[in-house]
Amino acid sequence: MKKEEEYAIEVQDVYKTFDVYLDKANSLKEKMLFWKRNRKEVREVLKGINLNIKKGEAVALIGVNGSGKSTLLKLMTKIIYPNKGKIITHGKLTSLLELGAGFHADFSGRENIYFNASIFGLTKKEIDNRLEQIIEFSELKDYIDNPVRTYSSGMFMRLAFAVAINVDADILLVDEILSVGDQHFQAKCIDKMKELRNEGKTMVFVTHSLGSAKELCDRAVWLSNGVIKMDGDTNTVVERYIEETK
Amino acid sequence: MGFFKGLYDYRELLKTSISKDIRGKYKNSILGIFWSFLNPLLQIAVYALVFPLLMRGSTVENYTVFICCGLIPWTFFSTAISRTSFTIIENGNIVKKVYFPREILPISVVTSEAINFVISTIIIIAFVLGYGIGLSKYIIFYPIVLLVQYFLLIGISFIVSSVTVYFRDLQHFIGIALQLLFYATPIVYAPGQIPESFQWIIQYNPMTYIINAFRDIFYYQQMPDFVSLGVVLAISIALCFIGYFIFHKLQKKFAEEM
Repeated sequence: MKKEEEYAIEVQDVYKTFDVYLDKANSLKEKMLFWKRNRKEVREVLKGINLNIKKGEAVALIGVNGSGKSTLLKLMTKIIYPNKGKIITHGKLTSLLELGAGFHADFSGRENIYFNASIFGLTKKEIDNRLEQIIEFSELKDYIDNPVRTYSSGMFMRLAFAVAINVDADILLVDEILSVGDQHFQAKCIDKMKELRNEGKTMVFVTHSLGSAKELCDRAVWLSNGVIKMDGDTNTVVERYIEETK
Repeated sequence: MGFFKGLYDYRELLKTSISKDIRGKYKNSILGIFWSFLNPLLQIAVYALVFPLLMRGSTVENYTVFICCGLIPWTFFSTAISRTSFTIIENGNIVKKVYFPREILPISVVTSEAINFVISTIIIIAFVLGYGIGLSKYIIFYPIVLLVQYFLLIGISFIVSSVTVYFRDLQHFIGIALQLLFYATPIVYAPGQIPESFQWIIQYNPMTYIINAFRDIFYYQQMPDFVSLGVVLAISIALCFIGYFIFHKLQKKFAEEM
């Protein structure tokens, strides 16, 4: 019998600091010659975050620039690691930190679907099964076999989003990318997200668009200066947030 | 065990990176293949012309074939190492944005170079046939020697690819080190041709035994020295473990260092 975990993401007392070098010695030569030069400032970005996200929850991370939202999301993705504390995730996780990371301009849209989806950990068979769905969602039709460098930025974004959203992960981490494409495509993205939420996927959004936060999430977490300032029902948190940051 | 699971889960990524790499090299089919064969052939031609002059005729029999059997495996070794030294930095855009097992990057470089090496082996075979040496039954040991070299390279590539992220200028150092190592390996000369006082250099060099084994198979047509190869294999596997340990420690800050 498989043990059912209640939480999808557990963040336990996480601290993250970045060393900000004012003049970084990037090479061995510089490190040896100018060993005094490494003046650095230690910037504490997250100071003791505790956050449990249940399976099937849709959570919005809100806060002003520099409050640590994106850092927290990157930690959940395991692109960076905390200095202290632990982050445990249960289930297949996909993050949309930047659309089209790893696209190759000279390859066709179709080839890039394969390459991009494989970065997300899909096998050939899984990609084959989703191919039609991805192409349809991207609305690229006949352009799909043209090299990606011939695409407009809107087409590029649509393809990238179509791949990422069809990866079929249990946990979806999204960083401020809902501003993709025109009104029509944005609405389509929101619909797709809602659909995934209703399927019971766990989602974490970093967003400045409080409207879409209210629309998609039932819970909001307000980060301020690296600590959680408020955590609760989206409407309540967003209202307080607007009031205080006015 | 997490290492193998990660590789298995992301096997499609490993496959696409390798095939992308190889297709990139042999793109525009005929011309691509032409260039990738011309380069080693020219190198062999240069060494075959210059060294007999320098050594005043005291070279081995069928010297061109002799060089060829050493130079092709060496090219595999040196290209794989110099390419892994910047593979993480080169793929910085995805390393910073997407999670995937980072060890896929050096492994795919070494693997695609291994496939290139297998393709280049056609050159060796063409030379031994062309010079009338012929092929021997010992060719069945070719995959074993290749595997030993593969493990050696995987171990080195873990260390080289992760350390260069922190010390960028190490790439230049590696280039120079590879040039020195070229002369410290019996490629253009036979092991017996160098003075006694320098023998220790080639004796401590694992590539010596790998190149000797390839020569045994194709040039001398005799049984490779499996005792030495076994020692090299043991060292290579140990290096894989040490290399993976270092890589695993260093990869946690890759995204921040770029």
